[in-house]
Amino acid sequence: MSQEIEKKVFRGRIKVPYKHTAGAYVEKFIIEIGKNNKIFGVKCPKCQKVYVPPKMICFECFEKMEEWIEVGNQGTVKGFTVITHSTPVMPLEPPFAYAIITLDGANTNFVHIIKESDPKKLKIGMRVEAVFKEVPRKRILDIEYFNPI
Amino acid sequence: MSKHDVAVVGIGQTKFRSKRRDVNIPEMVYEAVKMALDDAQLEPQEIDAIIIGNMDHFEGINYSELFCGIEGAPGYLKPVVKVATGGTTGSSLAISGYHNVASGIYNKVLVVGWEKLNEGGATTGIITAFDPVWERPSLAGALGPLALMAGMYSAKYGITPEQAAKVTVKNRSNAANNPFAHLQMPNITIDYVMSSQMISYPLRLHDVCPQSEGACALIYANEEETKKITDNPAWFHAVETAHYYTFGTDDKMYDLPTAAIASKKAYKKAGIKNPVKDLDVAEIYEPTSWSELSWTEALGFCKPGEGGKLLDEGITLMSGEFPVNPSGGVLSTNPIGATAMVRVAEAAIQVMGRGEKRQVPDVEKALAMGFGGSLWAEILLLGKEPLR
Amino acid sequence: MSKKKDQEKVFEIKWKTNLQYRYSIGKLAVKFFEELKKNKKIMGSKCPKCGKVNFPPRAVCADCMVEMTIDDMVELPPKGTLEGFTVVNYPFTDPNTGGMRPFPYGYGLFKLDGADTYTMHFVNETDVTKMKIGQRVEAVFSEELIGDLTADIPYFNIVKEEK
Repeated sequence: MSQEIEKKVFRGRIKVPYKHTAGAYVEKFIIEIGKNNKIFGVKCPKCQKVYVPPKMICFECFEKMEEWIEVGNQGTVKGFTVITHSTPVMPLEPPFAYAIITLDGANTNFVHIIKESDPKKLKIGMRVEAVFKEVPRKRILDIEYFNPI
Repeated sequence: MSKHDVAVVGIGQTKFRSKRRDVNIPEMVYEAVKMALDDAQLEPQEIDAIIIGNMDHFEGINYSELFCGIEGAPGYLKPVVKVATGGTTGSSLAISGYHNVASGIYNKVLVVGWEKLNEGGATTGIITAFDPVWERPSLAGALGPLALMAGMYSAKYGITPEQAAKVTVKNRSNAANNPFAHLQMPNITIDYVMSSQMISYPLRLHDVCPQSEGACALIYANEEETKKITDNPAWFHAVETAHYYTFGTDDKMYDLPTAAIASKKAYKKAGIKNPVKDLDVAEIYEPTSWSELSWTEALGFCKPGEGGKLLDEGITLMSGEFPVNPSGGVLSTNPIGATAMVRVAEAAIQVMGRGEKRQVPDVEKALAMGFGGSLWAEILLLGKEPLR
Repeated sequence: MSKKKDQEKVFEIKWKTNLQYRYSIGKLAVKFFEELKKNKKIMGSKCPKCGKVNFPPRAVCADCMVEMTIDDMVELPPKGTLEGFTVVNYPFTDPNTGGMRPFPYGYGLFKLDGADTYTMHFVNETDVTKMKIGQRVEAVFSEELIGDLTADIPYFNIVKEEK
C-alpha cells in the first residue's frame, strides 16, 4: 500500500512556442552558405582570431568584431565519433559521424557531420570538404555534410 | 554589519523596446555592459566577478550565463553566477552584487539583468513558474492574481479606477523625460486609460505594464576602488529581502506584507524615520497602476488606505514633495529580468544627479524596490554619501 | 523602429518546446486525490503545532517548519466565501497544452470553510456585475472522478442567494 502511494506522479507538459532572434552575424553566415555556398567568419581586431561560426564579441578580448573573412570550404578533423543509434532528432539516418572540424583559415572549431560511418576510414588530422544543400532552407544544415577528400 | 561600503560606479541601459529584432541575446547584453564599462572607464578585464540573470522560460534558453556571461559580459575565465527570481530578478541581482562586494570577496562586480520577452510570452512563462498540480491549470500568469489583488484593495479601501488611472498618467508622462523608457506618452490622459479594454476586471489594458526587451548593467566597487573610479558614486545604505509563502494565495494578497517588513528593516538600518521626509525619491515596482497606490502604503509613505489620497494630493508627482517613479516605472518599461534592476539604476542616477530631464532636485537619498512571484519584495536604499 | 520594405526578413528560429515531465506530487497530495476520486471529499492538512489548516495540503507548515502527515489531513466542505474575483479576458498560450486557453473565464480567490489559506480557481461566471466579494461559492464535481484537480472540480459556482 505504501509503495503504491510513493509512486504517484502527475504527468504534465510544458509546451511553449518561441521566436528566437538569431542576430545579424548568424543571419549573414546562414545567407552566405545558402545563397553563395561560401563560409564566412569574423576576425577580432585585437587578437586577430578568426571565429567560425561568426559572433559579435571576441570573448577573450571583449571586443566587437566587424571584419568578415571568407574561410575555405575545406578543413581538418580535430575529433570525431560515429553515431549508430537512432533518435527522433537525428539530422541524418544513422550511421554517420559527428566531427570537430577546423576550417582552413579559422581559429575556432566547427561541429558538423561527416558522411562516413566506418570508423576505420576516419582519422584525426584527415581533410574534409563541405557539401552544400541543393535548395537552401536558411538553416545550419544548408551545409548538408562534409565529405572526406 | 558589512565589511565594506559598496557604491554603484557605472550604469548601462539599452533603449527598451517591444522587439529587438536587430540583435540576439548576447549582443543585446553587450550593449548595456559596454555602456556600463565606458561609464566607469574600466577595462573589461578589471571586473572580478559577474552576476547575470533573466527568467528561463521566457526565451526558451537555459544556462544563459554560459553565453551571456562570456559574450555579453567579460566573463571568460572569471566567476559567473546566474540569479533568477521572477520579477525580483533585477533587484536580487543588485543585492547579490552588493553581498559579494560588501563581504570583501570581490572588489569590482558587474551585475546584468536582461530579458527578450517577446521571444516567448510573459504570461505563458510565468505560469510555468507555479505548481503544476494546484496552480497551473487555472493561473492566468501574473495578471490574474494582480487583478484579484486590485479588486480586493479597491473593495477594502474604496480606491476608484480614476485614482488608479492617475498612476498610469503620471508614470507614462514621466517616461517621456527618460530616453531609455519603452512607453513614453507625454500627452496621456485619464480618459485614455479608462477607455482602454478591460482585460481582467478591474485591470484595463493601460493599467498594466508592457512587455519589453532590453538589458541593464551596473558596476559596483568597494570604497577603495570607488575612489579611483569616480567622484560621483551612489552608495548603498541598506538592502533587504522578504519572501512569502509557497502559494501566494496562502495569506492576504493586499497590503503587501513582504514590502512592509523589508522596508521597515531597511529604514531601521539606514536611520530613516519617515520615508517621505527622510528620502528624496523612490523607484518602486508597480506591475499595475493599482499596485503603486497599494505599495506606497506598504512602504510606509502613507497610512493604509491612503495611497489614492497621496497621489490625489500631488505628493508623488514630479512636482510633489516625494516623487515616485520619475523614470516612468514598470508601467512604462518591463523587461522582466532587468526591470527591478532598472529601479536600482534609476535610483542611483537620481542620487548622482544624472537624471537630466527626469532629475528630481537635490536628491541625497533614494529608494528602489523589487517585487515578484508569490508576492516577495526587495528594498534597496542608496545615498550620496556612505552610511555613517 | 521602421522596417525598410526591401530589407530581407529578419532571421528568426521558431520552435515549440514539448517538455514532458512526471512530477512527484508527494504523499499528502496522493491521499487528497484518492479521497477526491473515491469519496468526493476535499482535504486540507492541519499543522499539529499551530493548528493552521492548509489548503492545498502540504507536508511542512511554513510558519512552524513542522511536518504534516496523512494523519494530519482534515476534511473541508466544498464551500467557501469569495474574497476576490476577476474575469480573465485576454489571449495567452497555455503551457499545459501549447494552445490558447479559452477566454473569458471567471477566476476567484476564496477560503474554503475551515481552511486558513486561500485558493484560486475557476468560477462559473463571466459577468463581473454578477460577482461580489462575500458571495458564497460551491465546488462543482464532474460526473466521473479521475483524481485530477481541474478535471474533477472544473469550477466553483456562485451560490444564488435566496430572497
